[in-house]
Amino acid sequence: MKTVLVVDDMLFMRMALKSILEKNGFSVIGDAENGVEAIKKYKECAPDIVTMDITMPEMSGLEALKKIKEYDQNAKVIMVSAMGQERFVKEAIMNGANYFIAKPFKEAKVLEILNKVVA
Amino acid sequence: MIIMSAESTMEPMLELFLFETTQLVEQLEQSVIDSEKCDGYDATAINEIFRIMHSIKGAAAMMMFDTVAQLAHCVEDVFYYLREGKPEKVDCMKLSDLILASGDFIKNEIDKIRSGNNADGNAASLIDQTHSFLDELKNVNPSVHTVDKGNTVSSQKQYYISQDKKAVSLKKQPFMATVFFEDDCDMENIRAYTIIPSLRDIAEDIKYIPENIMEDDATAEIIRTEGFKVFFSSGRTYSEIHELLEKTIFLKTLELVEIDDAVTEKPESRPKQIILEDFPDKTSKPIAQPPINVNKKAVSSSGPSMISVNVAKLDTLMDLVGELVVAEAMVIQNPDLRGLSLTNFAKAVRQLEKITGEMQDIVMSIRMLPLAATFQKMNRIIRDMCKKLGKEVQLELVGEETEVDKNIIEHISDPLMHIIRNAVDHGIESSAERMAAGKPAIGKVTLEAKHDGSDVVILIKDDGRGLNRDKILKRARENGLLHKSENDLTDKEIYSFIFAPGFSTNDKVTEFSGRGVGMDVVTKNITSIGGMVGVDSIPGTGSTISLRIPLTLAIVDAMNIGVGDARYTIPITAIKESFKPREKDIIIDPDGNEMIMVRGQCFPILRINQVFKVNTRTNGFTDGIIIMVENEGHIVCLFADELIGEQQVVVKALPPYVKNLRQVEGLAGCTLLGDGSISLILDIGGMVKRQKIS
Repeated sequence: MKTVLVVDDMLFMRMALKSILEKNGFSVIGDAENGVEAIKKYKECAPDIVTMDITMPEMSGLEALKKIKEYDQNAKVIMVSAMGQERFVKEAIMNGANYFIAKPFKEAKVLEILNKVVA
Repeated sequence: MIIMSAESTMEPMLELFLFETTQLVEQLEQSVIDSEKCDGYDATAINEIFRIMHSIKGAAAMMMFDTVAQLAHCVEDVFYYLREGKPEKVDCMKLSDLILASGDFIKNEIDKIRSGNNADGNAASLIDQTHSFLDELKNVNPSVHTVDKGNTVSSQKQYYISQDKKAVSLKKQPFMATVFFEDDCDMENIRAYTIIPSLRDIAEDIKYIPENIMEDDATAEIIRTEGFKVFFSSGRTYSEIHELLEKTIFLKTLELVEIDDAVTEKPESRPKQIILEDFPDKTSKPIAQPPINVNKKAVSSSGPSMISVNVAKLDTLMDLVGELVVAEAMVIQNPDLRGLSLTNFAKAVRQLEKITGEMQDIVMSIRMLPLAATFQKMNRIIRDMCKKLGKEVQLELVGEETEVDKNIIEHISDPLMHIIRNAVDHGIESSAERMAAGKPAIGKVTLEAKHDGSDVVILIKDDGRGLNRDKILKRARENGLLHKSENDLTDKEIYSFIFAPGFSTNDKVTEFSGRGVGMDVVTKNITSIGGMVGVDSIPGTGSTISLRIPLTLAIVDAMNIGVGDARYTIPITAIKESFKPREKDIIIDPDGNEMIMVRGQCFPILRINQVFKVNTRTNGFTDGIIIMVENEGHIVCLFADELIGEQQVVVKALPPYVKNLRQVEGLAGCTLLGDGSISLILDIGGMVKRQKIS
């Protein structure tokens, strides 16, 4: 089973993703509510995929993405961002993010993207 | 931290959404009020508000509350402009009002959703106001380089220039690669661009078609239909380059060909991007700026992880632990063990007692929440009132970290609001009046919480004009509230009239207070949770209102009494005194009602055995005991067989099957005594009613 680290500052979003993923054969092995925690958790549990929010307190998802990529250049990171954040998505993709999911997301889209990334 | 939610039926995601959004709106208000205090929005506040609005927008859109999402989006836009454009001329007052109004709207919608209604509020005018605010902001700050959200690329320009010369051998061969991406992979232009940095390590003279892929999202379509073409020269072998390009994410097809210099398709123009390098890029500052304001409490990054628990489960857990303690007593004091010498058993018992004791403490502590959030809310009330009344008042919070049971918190929020409103409206004088009296122009309201034994005491102090003794006395006289001669009343007793129903000395009704409701609501709410309200005042110096409330509702100090074989429990706070009655003090009025004369005053007697139709072991009054209790200002003397003793009891609601079958008026609940027997908790008001009916 593929393991996922879910990063978002809102518990609501983490739970939403978690419920979608766990229903569909992914294992959410950790979650984090800011970039700093995300890096820590990434090192701890070495997930197959990270879903990363962009706007977060402490450290943004972009910073965390860079740090995670520095630590493990094969890390698979999917940015999860709301509308109006295209600029950051571009930056994220240039920094090695594999894909992005736009909020609000639908279950089918999330699965499609995750499956593409792990394929 | 534990999130507690009362409604168990609501869909968990919705519940979570409501909880977090409420929290975010509270944070929002706090940020606004903090910013107002330091006369403007600093970078930290702007970032924070941006983030809050962004989070609300995302979550609301997920839950399909579109109006909330739209409004949050508008406000986010304003803060995006503030953050990126750093305009100098900002009407902070108007901005604060706008954000608070938006926060109120969202809160209102949340409340509607929570109570099962449709979130049907109309935010159109708020959204318009927000738009026009942003437009005006742009107008008065023409010098600000406007940044369009979402269409600019930041800080990556160095990729276009820098080249790793080492990697390129002297013998260079030009190549052309044509790349197609998988269908529906979206943002092909950005994906195409990701090829360039990796290529840069092994190649030079990199040029590509379409050109301005980073600026123009329309190029995605071109790449989709015609492919992304890259021209470069490299000293590496064909297979090496092919292998590198193969790694491109979402690659569908790759065509790599070696070309001659003469090939015409090579683009003539230099990539525009090079010019970008010297372009002052407004957007290139890091997204996560380190907080400038170091005064703010830093949130620990490795903070306690959070789980959400339904409050009903916690209630059950608390009940179970209470029962466990009782069951433990039943085992340890089991009559079968009497007369046995049980050394090892006694050891095991001590261990068990230690563990159950700790469990009780932990379960209690889970339900405890700091008062801080409730106290913080008062900031907003003071702010709004000051604006409307043209006063200046500062709120000081002391001991807001004091923790009380969650149920208690719910009950004190409204009373606190009423008291604060009254303090600002009636207590604090206008600045001119204050200056004339030699006081600082800015009024001060202090909200203080502290532990006192098993109670929490909350003090609300203001440094205003104090209560008007004569005016209160006059109003009390008019309302027929005086029950003894005016000269016998102490100042404290007179001040306490403000808590009487319908009492108000203020002649003009303001928007916030003066309708005569409020202070009696305070008394009602506080006494309903077993608390007490007090007031003190010094003319010209200010008033203090004190709320004394129990730490928890679930465990109360109580007196157990016996009537025949039955056991009853009365909360200690209700008991005034207890004594052995003398036959000669008993009076029977013409209707046959029994009364007792105590220190020259007559009080009605309520025989518990009569009210609940149980047997009594007593023959006459002198065999039993009188317990004088106070209920809603009336004193009633209960007559029981005996006092059993004082004890802390765990209050349990009567089970529904009992409530359905039996008349339970006069009973507030039940509890288990140490010996395992059940005791009924008396509700004095209900008993009086029940007696009257029969």
